[in-house]
Amino acid sequence: MEIIRKTFEQFGYSPIETPIICPAETILGKYGEEGDRLTYSFKDRGNRLIALPYDLTVPFARFVAANYQDLPLPFKRYQIQRVWRAEKPQQGRLREFYQCDIDIIGSKSLICEAEIVKMIVAVFEKLLIPNITIKVNSRRLMNVILQSFGINQSNTISVIRIIDKITKIGEEVVVSELQKMGIDNAKMVIETLTREDTNKGTLKKLAAYDTTELGEFLSYCDSLGVPEKNLQIDPTLARGLDYYTGLTFEVISTDANFGSICAGGRYDNLCGLFSDKDFSGVGVAFGFERIMLLLEQLKLFRSSNAPSQALVTIFNENSVKDALQTYSNLIEAGVPSEIYFEPEKLSKQFKFADKKQIPFVLIQGPEEQEKGEITIKRMQNGKQKNIPVNQLVTYLTNYYEAK
Amino acid sequence: MKRNNIRIAVQKEGRLKIPSLEYLESLGLQFSKENGRILIVSCKNADAEILYVRHRDIPQYIQSGAADFAVVGGDILYENNFKIRKVKKLNFGECGLVIAIPVVSPIKKIEELNGERIATSYPNSLRKFLKKQKINAVIIEIRGSVEVAPALGLADAICDLTQTGNSLQENALKPIATVFNSTAVFIESPFERGQKSEFANKFLTATL
Repeated sequence: MEIIRKTFEQFGYSPIETPIICPAETILGKYGEEGDRLTYSFKDRGNRLIALPYDLTVPFARFVAANYQDLPLPFKRYQIQRVWRAEKPQQGRLREFYQCDIDIIGSKSLICEAEIVKMIVAVFEKLLIPNITIKVNSRRLMNVILQSFGINQSNTISVIRIIDKITKIGEEVVVSELQKMGIDNAKMVIETLTREDTNKGTLKKLAAYDTTELGEFLSYCDSLGVPEKNLQIDPTLARGLDYYTGLTFEVISTDANFGSICAGGRYDNLCGLFSDKDFSGVGVAFGFERIMLLLEQLKLFRSSNAPSQALVTIFNENSVKDALQTYSNLIEAGVPSEIYFEPEKLSKQFKFADKKQIPFVLIQGPEEQEKGEITIKRMQNGKQKNIPVNQLVTYLTNYYEAK
Repeated sequence: MKRNNIRIAVQKEGRLKIPSLEYLESLGLQFSKENGRILIVSCKNADAEILYVRHRDIPQYIQSGAADFAVVGGDILYENNFKIRKVKKLNFGECGLVIAIPVVSPIKKIEELNGERIATSYPNSLRKFLKKQKINAVIIEIRGSVEVAPALGLADAICDLTQTGNSLQENALKPIATVFNSTAVFIESPFERGQKSEFANKFLTATL
């Protein structure tokens, strides 16, 4: 989570948090029927109806609507918080889970989209997750293509929802479902939307339509040095949510068998739900638990609670003062360390270090005190070394572990 | 900044300075070898300048295109992991980066360096070596006069450049391992030389 947070900040996003306990009317009625059903809500002691956030985008839209006069526009924020959904838990998706959202609000430039893609690549690079594919499509382009096949506007949303399932249920089922809706040329629609091997090829295939948006976006990505292998124009990508109006994204790992690990897109009208002002925005959410699951599957998970580097032991009552001094020096020099609290038998103190996987144990007994030295015991091999006390920090900070 | 001449960087002071200048003379360039405080000296017979700079800075001058060519120690390139095209390996400036211990030290094999303190001005090269040998040790970085660190109680061993081994001997040290051997090399900037390329190419041919 720290890696994700740092990458967000490196790209100039500021952190915000929004309330967990919200008046129900802030949350309900924004996601459609299913969203309402899955929202946790309850009555508080004042008999007011309260809801817990279903995602971070709606609370953020409310925040922008309430504060836009004081915000530097375009506004870039990130938000890492828990959200709640009252549904059956599935792999990488519990009833309570973290979302890591970033959004840029108040700019229509496609540089925003390219920046977000660059950041997605950076996040997964820093997490050491290889083989990610960022699928991109344009909701605008999709609407135009569907219309060219005579699908009228009132139907497009339902058509898009069906096409959205193509990777799950397969091309044939999608075609037959569309045919059931009365779209006789469904096969041709899907054929047109099927991507080519290269992005260039896909754009060429769609040359009859206006693909300037995707073209411009790709050229910005290229200038930002986004590797082409990570980017895939996929005209069937739909993203079920209704509020997308421009480019949409979905990130998958080709090494994993579960759904997307990050997704989002551009929305033009979301803030309008909370104020009379409308701001165009674009954002993506990283699914934290799914990313953790992927890290585990790829055996890349690194525990973040690294042990202290050194344990300062207390030899006897007379060495308490020296031990505290050493401990204080280490902490001030930024060496992660801790002190044993009792002057117990050294073997017991060593055992404690072993249990906590602390690599170095420091001993200052009467012998060392006399010489102004300190004994450094390396727990891994039991090897001991004496050095002058005032070289301790240099020793520990310059210790090179040849993994 | 557009230049029409070519610039050749050499070590301002130190073991490579004189042989580098002699090498450039052997290529037919004529210039004053007594530069004093002047750091850029023009050649008398060619559209070229000699740039006198700190040895460790030479790779940066080449990478940024501030200099077109340079004579530099291979040790500097290795230490800083600079990927610069080496035009030619030169037959001077031979030296080795070695790990040495006090002659009185109980250490016999390099494995015994585990947990010991090694003073050096080549931390990256040393780190690469320790990694390869799977040795955990403390790297004490010092800019110069590394040989004196063990006598001062600052280190248990050193990792330093040696040509003849005299300096080691004088400080009661003996080598126990070689990290690498190197010579001076002639290197070229990766940047396009534009207009001046004709002369530069002729010059380049002369070096080969």
